Amino acid sequence: MRRRPGPDSQATGVLGRTRPGSRSAAGVLGRMGPGFWAAAGWIALVLLAAVLADVLPLARYDETLAGPPRSGPSAAHPFGTDGLGRDVLSRVVHGARVSLGVGVGAVLLGLGIGAPLGILAGYRRRAADTVIMAVNDVAQAFPALVFALAVVAFAGANLRNVLIVLGVLGVPSWVRLVRGATLTYAEREFVLAARVLGARDRRILWREIVPNVAVPAASYAFIGMAVVVVAEGGLAFLGLSVQAPTPTWGGLINEGRTLLETAPHVVLAPSLVMFLTVLSFNLVGDRLRALTDVRESGLEPVREAGAAPLPSAPHEVRAGCLLQAEDLRTHLVTPRGVVRAVDGVSFTLERGRTLAVVGESGSGKSMLIRSILGLLPGSSVRGGHVYLSGDDLTARTPAEMRSVLGPRLGTVFQDPMTALNPVRTIGTQVTEPLRVHLRMGRRQARAEAARLLASVGIPDPERMLRRYPHQLSGGMRQRVTIAMALSCGPDVLFADEPTTALDVTVQDQVLRLLHRLREERDMAMVLVSHDLSLVARWADEVIVMYAGKVVERGPAAEVFARPRMPYTEALLRAAPRLSDPVHHRLSVIPGRPPDLADLPPGCAFQPRCPYAEDRCAREAPPLTGSYACWYPLDEVVVEGADSRGR
Amino acid sequence: MAGSGSAHLRPRDEVLLRVEDLVVEFPAGRGRTVRAVSGVSFDLARSETLGIVGESGCGKSSAARALVQLPPPRSGSVRLDGLELTALRGEALRRTRRRLQMIFQDPISSLNPRRRVREIVEEGPRVWDLPGDRVDEVLEAVGLDPRAAAVRRPHEFSGGQCQRISIARALVLDPEVVICDEPVSALDVSVQAQILGLLEDLKERYRLTLVFIAHDLAVVKNVSDRIMVMYLGKVCELAPSAELISAPAHPYTRALIASIPGGGPDLPPAGTLISGEPPSPVDPPSGCRFRTRCPRAGARCASEEPQIRQVGEDHWLACHYPTDSR
Repeated sequence: MRRRPGPDSQATGVLGRTRPGSRSAAGVLGRMGPGFWAAAGWIALVLLAAVLADVLPLARYDETLAGPPRSGPSAAHPFGTDGLGRDVLSRVVHGARVSLGVGVGAVLLGLGIGAPLGILAGYRRRAADTVIMAVNDVAQAFPALVFALAVVAFAGANLRNVLIVLGVLGVPSWVRLVRGATLTYAEREFVLAARVLGARDRRILWREIVPNVAVPAASYAFIGMAVVVVAEGGLAFLGLSVQAPTPTWGGLINEGRTLLETAPHVVLAPSLVMFLTVLSFNLVGDRLRALTDVRESGLEPVREAGAAPLPSAPHEVRAGCLLQAEDLRTHLVTPRGVVRAVDGVSFTLERGRTLAVVGESGSGKSMLIRSILGLLPGSSVRGGHVYLSGDDLTARTPAEMRSVLGPRLGTVFQDPMTALNPVRTIGTQVTEPLRVHLRMGRRQARAEAARLLASVGIPDPERMLRRYPHQLSGGMRQRVTIAMALSCGPDVLFADEPTTALDVTVQDQVLRLLHRLREERDMAMVLVSHDLSLVARWADEVIVMYAGKVVERGPAAEVFARPRMPYTEALLRAAPRLSDPVHHRLSVIPGRPPDLADLPPGCAFQPRCPYAEDRCAREAPPLTGSYACWYPLDEVVVEGADSRGR
Repeated sequence: MAGSGSAHLRPRDEVLLRVEDLVVEFPAGRGRTVRAVSGVSFDLARSETLGIVGESGCGKSSAARALVQLPPPRSGSVRLDGLELTALRGEALRRTRRRLQMIFQDPISSLNPRRRVREIVEEGPRVWDLPGDRVDEVLEAVGLDPRAAAVRRPHEFSGGQCQRISIARALVLDPEVVICDEPVSALDVSVQAQILGLLEDLKERYRLTLVFIAHDLAVVKNVSDRIMVMYLGKVCELAPSAELISAPAHPYTRALIASIPGGGPDLPPAGTLISGEPPSPVDPPSGCRFRTRCPRAGARCASEEPQIRQVGEDHWLACHYPTDSR
């Protein structure tokens, strides 16, 4: 139901805020890369040559003895001549008319028949969908090449028949593709919104669905053309396409076969042109498909980051401290510039304590957790140090980190469904860390897994081990991921928005469970959340993050009762509370969180801060004591904040 | 809880929207059906905000969509100003659309990524062949710059701004009722406050009647005059907002309040008020649907479904063994 932006989409939030024109047509096409442009250029060249074949200064394609037979490339005949002394270049260019003509024509024919059927099936669903897809499946099961050979052999080998046969053969794939694309968009809320506005079906189809289906269709059209050009070549090679003397690429290759030893260029020229054309069609189609992801994530998939090239200041390593972060920085290198996702965060955490990291999306709270765990995108650079019982984790290689992740640092994430593998049983997944890290045998691991599931409040754990994630409710799934995080007895449990995807009544159960486990196992917990009342209830200490920096820190009760940094105060006042009167006006923080790639000078909160003075825009306030602010609030008591404490 | 009945409905001439015995069903595969909404009744007076609150699977969103007949409910009545919407089909139903608009949860998926923001907001007047002179006005009313909207597409805006675009699209046709389905759930706290404030302003400015659906009781209380609590397709409790929070009578309402950190200082801990998770709506419990999680449930709860009855002034409840918290 409700879902907060996860680490990836959150990063999109960071990077994706108001990027004027960044995805305009020009911007998108500019990012397609040189390969795309070379391919598109080649297609344009071949197309142009085919269209202008009659006016180009070429020898006639059927003029025999235009040059000496079987002569290699020369100035007069750049591709040489064939066995009858005809100009090969001219024949290849004229052959392109047939090949591309059939390619474009057959694809348009397939699209013309397939797209309306696909849209009808995807949009109307029910009976229309069932009938169209049943017929389509039968059609797709037909042996296509045999059909093509039979029809062309029977009806006569000419351009029209070849085009129709190849076009009709493409219809089932078109129906399938267009139906799939239509289905995805027909269920989007903007289509529902158009209906609520009173738009008729035809208008919804043209305005809302077709523009969205057009891009995947265009992509498939290019790939389809490549397929048809190859198929036509095959038919022509067998002599089942346009008949001589009209040249086609497949026909040229067939004719040149006998001359392969004496004049290989006769075969090579059309082969090479055909190869390049098919490659180009595929490449253009592929790149166009990348356009379908309207909101690409700004981040690459997670990789284990190794190097720490950012310099760090001297600092003291506290021996007795369980977890210590010292000036931790994570900068992401993006096309838009360096994004300072985490920018100088330090904290310490003792056993038996819960540290909460609070902030809005884009504040860097999830990225902070990833930095500590060393799970960062490849485009990032990390600086600073993380010490676990005095042992510097940032000095470890990704391979060395693996012995820490699990046995010493456990993690629970927001969405238990994506954290669990859907095709493996709960039992396999819970026993895996036990067998890998603790080297338990199968039976012993199984017993331990059942014990773990029981300890997180799962009824009938033996039976649960045989189940799959989708058979469990959201709350039970989250309990399973907690059991997995605890399986190797970690010292620190990282819980990143652990209850955000869960129902309110289940949230309370899961947080209660986490709190109990922390006490029983004498662990430390790092709790990341956007929910201030939850943090106030369950955390001992809190750090408030804004634009990658810690802006306030301290004991949770203290920070929430008497915030000193205006941002913390504003956040508290912006959140609705049950104790507020009905129709109570929440205070609004004006503006939006800053663009992390383009931070304002001075204090990052300054443009939105009601108390900001000139100094705030000039100098960034350091984190002195418990807050980072030049003009902290004095002992302001936020009304009602006390009742949130434990 | 989780009971049926329509005793709480007000006289027909006093209300703008009257929903009676609404039933929404979906196929659940293998020939089974899910009753997402099972005999729910409520009404809205003009310029009133009704909050509907409940956990996932309680049927609140299905009920919202049934109000606009997308898809039409299995049975029951939806009357807008006396006009029975469930009896209308095709063009006659389409003609009522201008009066009833909707705002959705996901600010990204509710806007067509390939259209410019101004076109999105202009769609309503275009559909109805109206002059587009309200477009600039509503864009400004929701706090967007009409010039920027003319050239930009939704992905160039943040989540909060996208939600403003959705609101502008809903308001451009000057509707009477706006159904807000979790309009702030995907937004950050600071942006959420902006949108809630905006909805209150617009409600006053355009004299709107709102159905406000959310899972967050604090958010619902902030904007609603009355709150209806739903569980597994049924109504539990309906009361003026302040009363529902200060004197919840239904065991489920009490559990909901107590589950919010710092929510119910006078209530016992949530762990003693509710256990487990909601059962599957495909196979709901007999009698009262909440009984499997309710510490107060008795034999009667399994055999007999509680009917909605009055327990205070405009305070309605469906429970055999309510708590008298006053």
